[in-house]
This record gives sequence, structure tokens and C-alpha cells, in this order.
Amino acid sequence: MNTIQRFFRRYIFSTVGIVLLFLFVNIALIFTILVVGSMSNSDVVFSVRQFSDHITKQGGDWTADDTALSMLQEKSAWAMVLSENGDVVWQQDMPKHLPKSYTSTEIASFSRWYLDGYPVKVWTRADGCLTVVGFQPRTLVKFYYALEWPYIGMLFTGGIAVFLINLFLILFLLLRNTRKVEKAMTPILQGIQDLSHGRPNRLQEQGELAEINAGLNRAADYMRKKDNTRAEWIRGVSHDIRTPLSMVLGYASELEDNHVLPTEARKQAGIIRRESEKMKRLIDDLNLTTKLEYALQPLHPKTLDWVELCRQAVSEVLNNGLDSRYTLTFTEMQPGRPLRLVGDDGLLLRMLDNLIRNSITHNPQGCTITVSVGETDGRCLCTVSDDGVGIPAPLLKSLNLGNNISSTQESNEKTEHGLGLKLAAQIVTAHQGTIRFADNTPHGLKVSVYLPGK
Amino acid sequence: MTDYKILLVDDDQGLLEMLVSIFRRAGYTHLLTASTGEDALRIREKEQPDMIVLDVMMPDMDGFAVLRAIRRTSRVPVLMLTARGEAEDRIEGLEIGADDYLAKPFLPKELLLRVNAILSRAYPNREEMVELSGSTVDLASAMVWKNGEQLSLTAKEFQLFEKLYQNAGRIVTTGILCETICGEFWQGYESTLSTHIRHLREKIEENPSRPVSLLTVKGLGYRLNLKEGSR
Repeated sequence: MNTIQRFFRRYIFSTVGIVLLFLFVNIALIFTILVVGSMSNSDVVFSVRQFSDHITKQGGDWTADDTALSMLQEKSAWAMVLSENGDVVWQQDMPKHLPKSYTSTEIASFSRWYLDGYPVKVWTRADGCLTVVGFQPRTLVKFYYALEWPYIGMLFTGGIAVFLINLFLILFLLLRNTRKVEKAMTPILQGIQDLSHGRPNRLQEQGELAEINAGLNRAADYMRKKDNTRAEWIRGVSHDIRTPLSMVLGYASELEDNHVLPTEARKQAGIIRRESEKMKRLIDDLNLTTKLEYALQPLHPKTLDWVELCRQAVSEVLNNGLDSRYTLTFTEMQPGRPLRLVGDDGLLLRMLDNLIRNSITHNPQGCTITVSVGETDGRCLCTVSDDGVGIPAPLLKSLNLGNNISSTQESNEKTEHGLGLKLAAQIVTAHQGTIRFADNTPHGLKVSVYLPGK
Repeated sequence: MTDYKILLVDDDQGLLEMLVSIFRRAGYTHLLTASTGEDALRIREKEQPDMIVLDVMMPDMDGFAVLRAIRRTSRVPVLMLTARGEAEDRIEGLEIGADDYLAKPFLPKELLLRVNAILSRAYPNREEMVELSGSTVDLASAMVWKNGEQLSLTAKEFQLFEKLYQNAGRIVTTGILCETICGEFWQGYESTLSTHIRHLREKIEENPSRPVSLLTVKGLGYRLNLKEGSR
């Protein structure tokens, strides 16, 4: 899963989390309100049962104690006790116009609703009498609720269903919206990511975010233009240096070979010649590495004899004059076996040349360089190894990871040819091959190049 | 060494002077120079040089255009010089009909080597005697003189010798030598090559089992060493 997908997944999860949190907080709040409400009510609610307990029948007389009276007073309520046959046997502050006797129909009616506008509460006492407390109108609301069982069940499941449907609808809309945003944003974010990796892509300039896409396209164009400008610039500079360098190289070489001149002067001319040759190689490498980097150099592939190609690379170095401090040998791992591959001979020769010269450059004290060529697992292999100083482990690791190869230049002032290895790696990569850098035993560097065979 | 008439073409006066100096020191005396494409075409028409060294990048008429104009009427050998050093240039130049191609900056030695190779390829019938330490080879007749004895080279031996001579002092790889005698599909002819080399040694070496002129370079190929002081 890439960064962009991860971002949207995380966004969805956090939004779902927010919805759930919202839900729980609401449920909690409702419960709190209910609890707090009922708690604040409890001291003012009038309990008929308690009131009834304070009315007693002693002998034939009904009496209410002080608590009962003060309870009534507090609510400005009135009270009566009805006997089993509906007669008022005791009353307190009962409005005058109310009847003193009630039929069972009347009792059934007011106990559920109102008695002449007065809201009443009733309590059936242990002795069979009925305590009735009447309150002032508009102080109490009375409901009557009777529901069928199946209806209750439906109401309950229905409630849950409504709740769940709501929840799912919210989640669905949320996911749909996120998906829409993701769809619109992904190409843009991918574009930014590609841009940061130096791979400018062209985006469709349509939809609501067309302007952003257009902006990114402009940035990509700008980047491409800058890359091209850089490549052009390097090409231009290297071109302009070539002619003057030809003169330096030519005249220095002439002076070096001029037997009329003193030995010392010829030696100095030789130094100028050698340094100019290094500059020439550097320019060639710089030019080619830039072109490979921006894919401006097309390969000219053809079927090649890998052994012969390696022979030519080694011969070229020997023919150009190798200092006596160095020994360069060539071996075949499987002598006589023909090895074919498809590649650009010019570039592959350049790659091998760079590897051999890398060993020379890094070992000014001299060393033995061995070029071995052969086949392994159907792949063409060439190893260039030396018994020189080698390369420190961290740098070796960095070289194998393929990153900042050119930094070999900064790590050691003496290594003046960091581009050489970078170029070699680029050429191998362009041929779908791999290049490995390793320590040679007992010391030195061993570079192995694997190329797909034909 | 035969003296050839060579036309040098470059718009850079300094480089032109250097080229003249290089060729003069190498023993060439008939040197002509031109600094524009038109000049080059006019001089070639008038002087009929044996060889032309032509710069690619010139302001009025570039080297490719000059070469195309030359090739309409002449097969004179041409070596192209370029400041671009790019594969495309090289291929374009060779397609139009350049004999070889050299990228700036170059070593005088390399330039001379290539010019010599082109010249000996282009004018093989000129009288030329190759001095080796144990014998002398006459390129015109493919004959070898050794200790007053006259031996003739077979066609394959002569092709091999010519290739080695064009690259005298340098290693010529097995593949290139095989290609010289067998053509493009030379793989598998390595043993044939070593047989021809053995026969060639028997003719040109004083002691064929201990060769001093035609040396084996282990694993790579062969090298022909000329007699000290010759060429």
C-alpha cells in the first residue's frame, strides 16, 4: 500500500471514529440528563402511598397526622378517603361542589384521568379503602398508555433499525465522499510523488481540480526543460573544451616526443599530456553520464561476442600504454566457450575501460589487475579485480545500493574519477544487467558485471 | 615511407597549425590546409590529395556536407574529426562514407596511427617493404626475404600480416584476426587462426619456436613488432 492509499485509509478510519465518538457522547449525555432530571424531581414528587400511610382509622374516626397535612399544604392539594362502596369517609380541603359519593364507574374514570378538572392520584389502602389526592388544575399532566405487545416489539426493533440505518447511511455517504476525493486527489498526489522522484508525468487537465493538474504539468515541463538545459549546457561546455584541449594534448605530446628538448622538459610535457588525457576522459564521461541519466543516448544494440569484447577492452588499455607499476591480465573462465549477448559495443567497451581505469586510478602505488570473462547461470559475467587498496566497507555498501556513486569523489581527494564507476553502473543498467562491488581476497576491489546472455 | 599528399580541414586556425606540425614531424611534407568547406572542396578539386582530414563542425558548411560533396565524385580516404564525440555523429559520418572517425581531443599518436592505417588500406599497391628483425616483407608482392631466401605468403597469411602491420606495436585481438581471414562469422575459427600464425612465423621469424616479431599476447591476441628504428 503506498502513502496515498494509506493516507485515505487513515482518513476514513478517523472519520468513522469521530462518528462513533459523537454517538457515544450523545447517548451518555441523554442518560445523564435523564438521571439528573429524575434526581432533581424526587424531592418534590408527591407520593400518595406515603401520604396514605399518615392517615389512620382509630375506632370509627379517620385522622391525618401533621405530616399528611403539611404534605397537602405544600402542594395546595386536597384529599379524601373513599370507602369500599364509594362514600367519602374522610376529607381534607375538598372543594365543596364535589360529590360525597362516587360510583365505581366514576372512580374508574377519575383514577385514570381527572376529577372535575382536578388531576388526582389514588392509592388502594390495605384496609380496602381508596385514598384520593386532588391537585390544583394545571399542576400535573396525566397520560394513559396502553400498547399491544407486538407493537412494543415492533417499536423496539424499529427503533434499533432506524438507528442502524442512520448509522450506515452516514458511513456510506462518508465513504462515498472520501472515495470521490481520493479519486480526484490520487493522480495529483501521484504526480507530486513522481515529480519528487524526477519522473515528470503529464496529468489530465479536466474536472474540478484541473487547475492543480495544470500547475503540476507546468512544474513537470519546467523540470524537463531544466534537465534538458543542463544536458545541453554540459554538452556545450564539453564541446567548447574539446578543441582547446586537443591543442594542449597535441602540443604536449609533440614536446614529449621531441628528442631535441632536455629530458626534464620532456618529462614535464608528459605530465601535461597525461593530465590532459584525464580531462579528456572526464569530459567524455560527463557527457555520456548526462545523456544516460536523461535517456538522451539511444543504445545501438547488436549481437556481440562477449569474450572478444573483453579482449578488445583489455587490449585497448595495454595498447594505450600501461605504466610498468601495473600488470593487466586476461583470463577466460571457460576457455573456448563462445558467449553471445546483445548490446551496444561502444558503451560496453567504455564500461570495461572505466572499471580497469578505476583500479589504476585508485592504486597509484601499482597493482595487478585481472579481467576474467565467463558464463554463470546463463548470464555473461566479467569480473575486474585488483590486489590494491580496495574500498572501505561503507562505501562498498553504498556502491552496491547504487546510490550516490559519484560521492566517491568527495570521500577521498585522491579519487579523481568517481564518475567512471557511476557511468559503468549506468551502462550496465541500460543493458538490463547488474553490477556488484566486493572486496577482493586478500585485499583489493572486485567488480562483477552480469549481463543477460543471448 | 611513402609521402602522401594530405589535405587538413578545420575552421580553427590554431588546431590547423597543430595538425600541420604533427604531420610534418611524422615525415609528411605535402600538406595542404583549408579553413572552410568551400576552400576544402576547391583545393581537393585542384590538388587531388591522397587523403583528407576533415573537421565536422564548421561554420559555413559542415563536415558532413563537405564529405557528401566529395563522395559524389571521389573515393579519396577521409578521416573525420569531431568535437562532439557522439555515437550519432560517428554513425552518420561512416554512413556517408568516412573511412574513420576520431573524437577531439585526440593524441597525435592516435591520429597518425589511424591515418597510416587508412592509407595502407587505401593504397595497398604502393611499394612498401616492412623491416622485421629476422626478415623483410614486401607488401606489394607478398614475398618474404629471410637470410637471402625468398618465400611467398599465402593469401590468408598475407591478410593476417597486413592487419598486424597496420596495427604494428599494438595488440590485435583474436576476434579481429579471425574476422580478417574468415569474415563476420568467425567464431570457432580460433584454431585455424593459430595454424596460420604458426605458418606465418615459420616464414618471417628466424626462430619460429621463439618468436621476436610476431608475439602472442596471452588470452588476448597477437602483436607485430617492427625492427627497431623502422617507421
